[in-house]
Amino acid sequence: MRFFETLRTANHNLFRNKVRTFLTILAIFVGSFTIILNVAINSGVNAFIDEQTAALGGDNFIMLMSKDSAAMMSEQMSASTGPQEFTEKTNTIGVLSDTDLETLKNIDGIDADSFYSPTPLNGTGYITSSKTDKKYNVGSAMILPPGNFNIPLAAGTLVDQTEEAKQKNQIVLPPEYPQALGYEKDEDIIGQTITFALKDEFDGSFKEFKAEVVGVEANGIVSSQFGMLLSRALYDEMYTFATKYYPANYEAPTYYVMATFDNTRFTEDEIKQAISDAGYYAWTINDMMGVIRTFFDVIMIVFSIFGGIALLAAAIGIVNTLLMSVEERTREIGLDKALGMSSGRVFTEFATEAILLGFWGSVFGVIVAMLIGNAVNFAVHQPGAFLEVFPTFELFKFTVGNVLPIVIIIMIIALIAGTAPAIKAARKNPIEALRYE
Amino acid sequence: MPNSLAEPWYNSKMNPVIEVKNLTKVYGKRSNAFTALKNINLTINAGESVAIVGKSGSGKSTLMHLLALLDKPTKGTIEVDGVESTKLKARKLNQLRNRSFGFVFQQFFMNPNDSVLQNVTLPLKIAGTRRKERHELAEKALKTVGLSERVKFKANDLSGGQKQRVCIARAIVNNPKILFADEPTGNLDSATGDKVIKLLFDLNRKKHVTLIIVTHDEDLAKLCDRQIRISDGKIVEDTGTKAVKAKTTKIAKETKTKKGTK
Ligand SMILES: Nc1ncnc2c1ncn2[C@@H]1O[C@H](COP(=O)(O)OP(=O)(O)O)[C@@H](O)[C@H]1O
Ligand SMILES: [Mg+2]
Repeated sequence: MRFFETLRTANHNLFRNKVRTFLTILAIFVGSFTIILNVAINSGVNAFIDEQTAALGGDNFIMLMSKDSAAMMSEQMSASTGPQEFTEKTNTIGVLSDTDLETLKNIDGIDADSFYSPTPLNGTGYITSSKTDKKYNVGSAMILPPGNFNIPLAAGTLVDQTEEAKQKNQIVLPPEYPQALGYEKDEDIIGQTITFALKDEFDGSFKEFKAEVVGVEANGIVSSQFGMLLSRALYDEMYTFATKYYPANYEAPTYYVMATFDNTRFTEDEIKQAISDAGYYAWTINDMMGVIRTFFDVIMIVFSIFGGIALLAAAIGIVNTLLMSVEERTREIGLDKALGMSSGRVFTEFATEAILLGFWGSVFGVIVAMLIGNAVNFAVHQPGAFLEVFPTFELFKFTVGNVLPIVIIIMIIALIAGTAPAIKAARKNPIEALRYE
Repeated sequence: MPNSLAEPWYNSKMNPVIEVKNLTKVYGKRSNAFTALKNINLTINAGESVAIVGKSGSGKSTLMHLLALLDKPTKGTIEVDGVESTKLKARKLNQLRNRSFGFVFQQFFMNPNDSVLQNVTLPLKIAGTRRKERHELAEKALKTVGLSERVKFKANDLSGGQKQRVCIARAIVNNPKILFADEPTGNLDSATGDKVIKLLFDLNRKKHVTLIIVTHDEDLAKLCDRQIRISDGKIVEDTGTKAVKAKTTKIAKETKTKKGTK
C-alpha cells in the first residue's frame, strides 16, 4: 500500500510542472533511445553472425593458409588507401604443397578428414534452363564440401554424398538463380535439369553439360563463399574439359584449406597458436565475421558515444529538475516535516521522482526505438535495399534481455542523479523550510 | 455538567506535558545574531488552555515553534512527557508531531493547489492511515469546522476565514493531545472568530486537549486558563495554573451566552 501510494504521490508531483518534466523526460528519452537502438543493432548483428557461424558447422570452422598468404590477405583487407609499396612478402600467395598439407593434418586438434580445398572451375561459361532464353554467368563453381560443412539451404538438400550419388550430375544453386532461370519459387526448380556450358578456349565453341538441381542455398554471408556446388561426377567432367589444353601433369595449386578443429579440447586461440607455431596461418570463423563486425562496430561506437553524452546531459537535467522542484516545494516539505513526515520518507519521495523520470524516459525510448527499429528492419529488406539479400538478417533485434537491463540501468542512473536533491530535501528544518519565501 | 465544571477534570500540578528550562533562541550568527527568546522557564500542564500574548515581534511564534519541537533551541532544554527533546529518537519525534500535536500556523501553510480534503488528510497520509479511514476522519473534522460542502474545493479558492478553518480541521483530524494555534483568529471577522474560539475551547473542555494559543487579542487571551505575557523575548507575566478553576467557569459562561445569542 505504502509503495503504491509513494509511487502515486511521486508521479503526481512530477507532473505538476508538466513542461519541465516533459523536457527532462525528453532528454532521457534521447539517451535511452540511442542506447537501445545500439544494443538492438548489436544483438541483431550477433544473432546474424551466430546463424552464419552455425551454417559453417559452428565455431570449429578454420581456414588454413601459408603465412605469406595471410600477410597478403590482411593487406588487402585493410589497404583501402591506394597503391602499397612492393615487398615480396605482401605480394606472394603461398601455395600449400603436399608436405604442407601433411604437416597441417598432423597438428593435434585439427580434423584431417575434414580437409577441403576446392579448386574453383576457371573458364568462360554460362548457365541456362529450358524455361528461359537468357544465359547467366556461372560465377564461382566448386565441388561440394564434405558433410561437416553445414551450408544453409532455402530448398532441397545438399548433393547426395553417397558414392553412387557422386556419380550423378547434381548441383546446388546459389540464391536467386532459380528465379533467374524461370522458376517462381525455390522449391519449383528442385529435380529439374538445367544446362551448363563451358567455352572451348581454342575453337570458341561451347560445350553443354546437364545437371539435376537438388538444392538452393539460403541467402547469407556463407553462400557467397561457396557459389555453385557440384557433385563429384559433374565437377570432374567439367574440370577435365576446362583444363584440356593444360600440360598433362598440371595440378591446380592449393592456396588454402577449409577444415574443422576439435573445439571441445582447444579454444580458437590455442589452435591458432599451434598452427602459427607450425609455421602456418589460420583464419577462424570469428576472424571472417570480424570484418562484418568491424563495420557495425563503427556504427555502434558512434551510437554509444552519442547515447552516453545524451544520458550524461539527461542526468544533469534530472539533478536540475529535482533541485528546482525541491526549491519550489520547500514550504511543502517544511509542512510535511512539521506534520511528522520522516526525513527518510522525504528522501524516498524525491528519489522516487528521479526513478520515475528515468522510467518514463527509457520506456518512451524503448517504444520509439522499437517502432523505428522495426520500420528500418522492414525497409532494409525491401527490393533494392541494403539488406535485401540477407532476409534472415534482423538488423535491430529487441528482446526482453537487451531492453530491460537498459531501462533498469537508466532508472539507476536517474536515482543516482536524484540523490543529491533528495538529500537536500530530506535535511530541511521544518520551520526554516516553512518560512522560505 | 455543572458538576464537572465545579470539579476540574485534571489535576494541573500533577501532570506537566511540556517543561521548558532556561530556553534561549538566537537567530542568525555573529553580527547578525538576534536573541528572540531569553532564559524562558515554563511548565505547561495537561488539559490547560494557555494564551501566549505580547506585541508583534516579541517572540511568541518562536516560543510556540520551540514548544512544538519544530525548531531547536540555542540554549536550554524542552521536555515533552518527561523526555528531553534532544534525547528523542527521530522516529519518536515524528510520531509526536504527527499523532500528539496539532498545529495551526499563523500563515496557514496549506498546499494551495491541493483540494481541501487533501490538505486536511495530510497528517493522516503521513501517519499511513488507509484511504477510506482518512476520508472519513477528514470529513468529520471538516464538519466540526463547518466546511462540509467545501471538501472538493481547491484550497487556494477559499476565503481567508475558510482557510483558517481548514487549517484547524487539519490540526484536529488526528485527535491531538496538544493543539498549538498561532493567531487562530488573526484573519477572521469577529463572527467566524467566535466560532473558531468556541471550537477550540470545546476541544479543550470535551476532549481534554491542551490548548496553547498565541494571540495578541486580549479578549481571546482572557478566555484561557492562563496567560503568559512576552516582551522582547522574556516572560514578563505568567498567571500560572492557579486561575484554572475560575477561568473554566468563565469559559463555560461565555460559551453558554454565545450559544444563547446564536
Ligand atoms: N528565522 C528568523 N531569522 C531571524 N530572525 C527571526 C526569525 N524568526 C523570527 N525572527 C525575529 O525574532 C523576533 C520574534 O519573532 P516571532 O517569534 O515571529 O514574533 P511574534 O510571533 O511575537 O510576532 C522578531 O524580531 C523576528 O524578526
Ligand atoms: Mg507570530
